[in-house]
Order: sequence, then C-alpha cells, then structure tokens
Amino acid sequence: MAEFIIAHLYPELMNLYGDRGNIICLQKRLEWYGHNCCVEAISPGGQIKLNQYDLVFMGGGSDREQKLVVNELVHNYNELKLEIEVGLPVLFVGGAYQLLGKYYESSDGVQVPGLNLFNFYTEREKNRLIGNIVLAASLHGRPFTVAGFENHSGRTYFEDEDLKALGKVISGFGNNGQDGQEGLWYKNLLATYLHGPLLPKNPILADFLIETMMNRKGIVFKGGLDNCIENYAHEQTKKKILG
Amino acid sequence: MKKIALIIAIIAGKLVSCLSRIVGTGGTSLPGKIALKLYPQILNHLSANISEEIFVVTGTNGKTTTTNMLAGILKQKGYTFVHNRAGANMITGITTAFIRATNWTGKRQIDYALLETDEANVPLLLQQLHPRIVLITNFFSDQLDRYGELETIINLIKDAVRDTDIELVLNADDPLVTHFKNDTGLHCWYYGFDDTKYDRVLSEEGREGRFCVFCGQELYYQRFHYAQLGKFSCPECGNKNPERNFTAYSLNLTPKIEMKVNDIEISSPYQGFYNAYNILAAVSLAKLAGIEDEIIQKAIAHLKPRAGRMEQFNIDNRIVTLILVKNSTGLNQALSAINTEPGRKTLFLALNDNVADGRDISWIWDADIEQMTNLNSNLEAIVCSGLRSGDMALRFKYADAPVDLIYIEDELQSGVKKALSVATDRAYVLSTYTALFVCRDILLKLQQESVASTDRFGEKQNSSESQG
Repeated sequence: MAEFIIAHLYPELMNLYGDRGNIICLQKRLEWYGHNCCVEAISPGGQIKLNQYDLVFMGGGSDREQKLVVNELVHNYNELKLEIEVGLPVLFVGGAYQLLGKYYESSDGVQVPGLNLFNFYTEREKNRLIGNIVLAASLHGRPFTVAGFENHSGRTYFEDEDLKALGKVISGFGNNGQDGQEGLWYKNLLATYLHGPLLPKNPILADFLIETMMNRKGIVFKGGLDNCIENYAHEQTKKKILG
Repeated sequence: MKKIALIIAIIAGKLVSCLSRIVGTGGTSLPGKIALKLYPQILNHLSANISEEIFVVTGTNGKTTTTNMLAGILKQKGYTFVHNRAGANMITGITTAFIRATNWTGKRQIDYALLETDEANVPLLLQQLHPRIVLITNFFSDQLDRYGELETIINLIKDAVRDTDIELVLNADDPLVTHFKNDTGLHCWYYGFDDTKYDRVLSEEGREGRFCVFCGQELYYQRFHYAQLGKFSCPECGNKNPERNFTAYSLNLTPKIEMKVNDIEISSPYQGFYNAYNILAAVSLAKLAGIEDEIIQKAIAHLKPRAGRMEQFNIDNRIVTLILVKNSTGLNQALSAINTEPGRKTLFLALNDNVADGRDISWIWDADIEQMTNLNSNLEAIVCSGLRSGDMALRFKYADAPVDLIYIEDELQSGVKKALSVATDRAYVLSTYTALFVCRDILLKLQQESVASTDRFGEKQNSSESQG
C-alpha cells in the first residue's frame, strides 16, 4: 500500500461547477486499488513544493478569482515548468486551463497575461459555449471517447502546431468552436474545458492519471476495477448527444 | 386601436389557456407567450389593475414556497390576487397568470400580485410593471449553464432595481444578498435568524459567498445556519449582517417547524430549515402588507406542503415523501431532513437534464451525498432514474455507497416501483423539475390503488416482496 498526495490548488478560489468530483474520483479509485490518497488544499501565499505531490489539480473560477491565481502561480513558474517536463500528472480544468497560455481575455475585455507555459491564447466572446460534449481521443494507440459538459465564454487558439489536443470534437464546441479540437494533452498534463465530473464517467482518463502516479512511484498498475456504473453513465451521456 | 389589440391579446391568451387545460398539457407559458407576441405591453396594462401592491419574489431557492405561503395568508385575509404558480416564473408564465386573473376587457380590479420571478427575468419584468417590493431569498449557484455565472445575475438584478422607488426585502444572513443596500441605495428591510440549535460552526458546503463582496477578504463566520447563510463579518472592511427588521428565534424543526418571528408564534407542517426561511420571508412580507398576526398564524398553520415540497403519500401503509431537488444546496437540505427521520429507508432519485432542470448536472458532485452513506443513515436501496440515472448512480458509488444497494432504472415508472418493492419503513422520491410531476402522478396512482385494495380486503396484506 502506497501513500499518494494530490495538491488541490486554491480550492477556495477555483472551484466552480462540481470540480470536486474529479478529486473524489482519483481519491476513491486509488483507495479501491489498495492505496491511500490524501488531498492537500493549497491556499494562496508563497512557494508550493510541487515535487512533493503525485498530482496537481486546479478547477475553474470567476474572473476576479482567476486573476488572483495567476499572481500566485507566477511565483511557482519555474518549478511548475520543470515538473510538467519530467512528467508530473496535472489536471487543469476550465479557467485553470486558460492560465497555462500566453493570455486570456477577461469579461471587461482586458488581456490578462497567463503563465505562458504553452503557446496558446484565449479570447472571449459574449455568447457562451454550453452543452454536452463528446470527444474522440486515443491512448497508447487505442481510441476511446470522452464525454462531459462544457460551459465557457473563452475561445482558446493554439499558435504552436505541435500542441496536441486532448481530443477531437465529435459533438460540441471544444477549444473555440471552430477547429474541432478540445483541451490540451502534454506528457502527463491534461487541460480541458470539460468541467465538473470529468473523471468519474471517463475512467480511462482517470486510470491514465492514476497509472502515471503509480509508475512514478515504481508501482505496476494492474487495473481491474469494475467500471459498470462508470461505463453506463458514459454511454448514457454519449447516447444523449449522439442519439 | 391599442385597446383592441389588448383585448385580442387577452382573448387569444384565454383561449389558448382553456384549450391547454382541456388537452391537459401544462399550458402555463404558451398563453402568455402568444399574448406577449400580440401585445408586448400587456403586463404594463394588466398590472395597472392591481389596487394594493405588487410583490416580486426572486432568488435561487424558496421562491415558490415563499409566494405560496404569502398567497395562503392573503387568501385567509380575503384579498384577491394574481399569483403565478408552480415554477412558471418566466415572463411568459407571469403574463399567463395575469391573463387568467383578468376579465375579457382586461379591467378587473385585483388587490395584490404575487410574482415568483426567475432571477434572469427580473430586469425584463421590471421594465413592464412597478412593484412596491422585491424580495430576494438567497443566491446559490444554480442553473449556471443557462445564464453564466452567479455574479452576472446579481449585477443584472442590481441594475434593474437601481434608480427606482422599489423597497427591497433581503435575507440578512446571506452575504450575497445583503450588499444590495450599498449598491442600490434603496430602502431595505431585512429578515434573518438568531442563533439556532441547528447551527454549525464549520461548514463544508458551497463556496460562493464566502468572500467579502466589497474587499475580497475571506469572511469570518461565527455560525452557519446552512450553506453560506449565517452570522458573518469581514475582518478587513467590517461588512457584516445588517440589523434585522424581522427576526426568527426559538426554532424547532421536528416534528414540525415552530418558531417565533418578532413576537408572533409560528407553527407549520412543513419540514427543513430552508422552509423555515421561506416562512420567515412570507411572514415579513405579510407584516409589510399590514396583515394581522392572527391571520398570519392561522394561514401558516393550515398550509400543507405542495407538489414536491415534502409532499407525503400513503402507499401500502408506508409513508412516501416526494421532494423536488434543483441544486446541491436543496439536495443537501433534503438529505439531512431525511437523515433526521427514524427507520430503514429507500431512496429514489430522478435526475433529468432538460432545460428546465438545468442541462449541467455537475452540481450533484457538490452535494454532500456522503452524509447518506454512513451506517446511521439506514439506507437499504438507492434507485437512480431519469435521463441521467448513470451520473446519479456514479455519485453514490463515489460517496462509498455499497454498489449492491445501487439500482439503475432509467424509466420513472419502473424505477418508482422498484424502489417501493424494497421493504423498508420509509421511502423518499427525490426528483428534478421535469420528472417531478410524472413521479407525482405515479405516486398518486399507487396511493389510490393502495386505498382501493385496503377497501377490498378490509385490511392491507403485508407485502412480502424483498429487494432483488
């Protein structure tokens, strides 16, 4: 039995729309695989020792809160960049996703500088992109679908052709409603507009993060959880959207 | 010409209203929609027939119950009133209510208008009519997918009431509501609770409202009544609960709600802290309308919960309770009310994601489902139903509910039957809006059948069915 620690960045500020579902999912699945997992809520203020954690999670927030968070994360820029490069599992959802880019536009039309870890930017349009969404993704060459819900006014555009999306939009809007891409997948970092309970009904993504967490501790991931209810919810959502 | 257009709009509205009643499909918004198309200023005209006051009730939770209670009080007093019922709270539903209440020429005098109004519809409504009072119950994140974030809605309402002579009646315990005074300068009345024995010092629920709206500092809470409602103060700028005009104290929640509001003793067959808030809100409005204490007391004591507001059915000698749930706070409140009741329990949950439910079902992950899965909650079966039965089942699984207690039955009828086939002491049917009336019909029918079979056999045979 191993001990895992998840860092939940600024939950008091960035926690819209049931983001907590993703944390609960990772925690429970690790438990069911026979391990222990605790979650550390990181509050604003100072340096975060990122290399102490097995996974870093951040959710969505409103404009004002998002701004506060950028100012916080700037102090941790170098370490965050390094840890992502060496394969730290990271899940950034909604507003947190936008912070990884060059800038994002806030509701008053101002371009707020992001962390600039990746070469993309986010503009804003008045009408929000809202609804159920299904993606086609692949892992180790095997295709799978991702099902979830998106709700964002931001339109994210990649400027670097080598940036890889989390998946291709089968139905829904995705990064900007135009290029058919959704999210960002870089090494073990997943960033996406699919908010709330993304991981619970996408056990392949949940297990991808968990497998990486285990491998980094030298533990072999064997899988084998019963995903009946997870798959039921996944298929139900998919069927609703695709008919 | 204007007059003719108005009369045509009223007649069209009334006809559609009659037809939809005959056909039996809802019909709470279509008549208003058609009348508004024919005569866009119709509300402006019809509201001029209100001789006393217009009251608008808005906020996230408690709009329906608060207006229903006030309606009960006005009825007791013998007043006539326009009242849009059962969640038909968009501009179209409100128009329908006015059309139904008026006569063919649109001139019938009516004493009051009680308008439960969807938050995002408040600006539109205030362009058409001029209420004396707007009451705001609370703000929780609800149906965010329809209108964007909570902040946007709050600002919309603020802009709509600014520079009017409207009086605001505000929940003094909700930091997301109290700041309306500073930002609008309007005359405000406040209602709220003194310390109660149900308060908690720490709360895990909901995040919104925990930061001071003026300076962004985290609020310090001395006590939580529930969610972000409580006794708060800002260590930075001194923002805190305002002085109350209507104070509730000596609160008792079981077996029924008992409390005092100022000096009035109140007793109601409703359940749950959130309903105590609704009663307090209705009593405050009634006092502002100048209604006597005895009338208020009598009306509140006789009002029984309506569809989905903890409505009870007797089916095969077992009490089955129907509860409408719309968001995580409502679900938390319902579950903790269920947890205070004794005996072995069956839970049925219908989760739909139609527009009227809110298409985003993420909120179930913010709800404290974990409170149901400890040993003391005596849950024997959890039946998940509706369009998003899978998500609900998943939420229970990740709250550590034993998987063999979780059943998925998408179809509502078979789901309710499955739930009632498990022999327990009590059963609870929780449902989002668009499944509520279907569930209610199923329960009514089962109740009738159960009465019929009792009549036939003299006494009810014990059901020996068990869970399978």
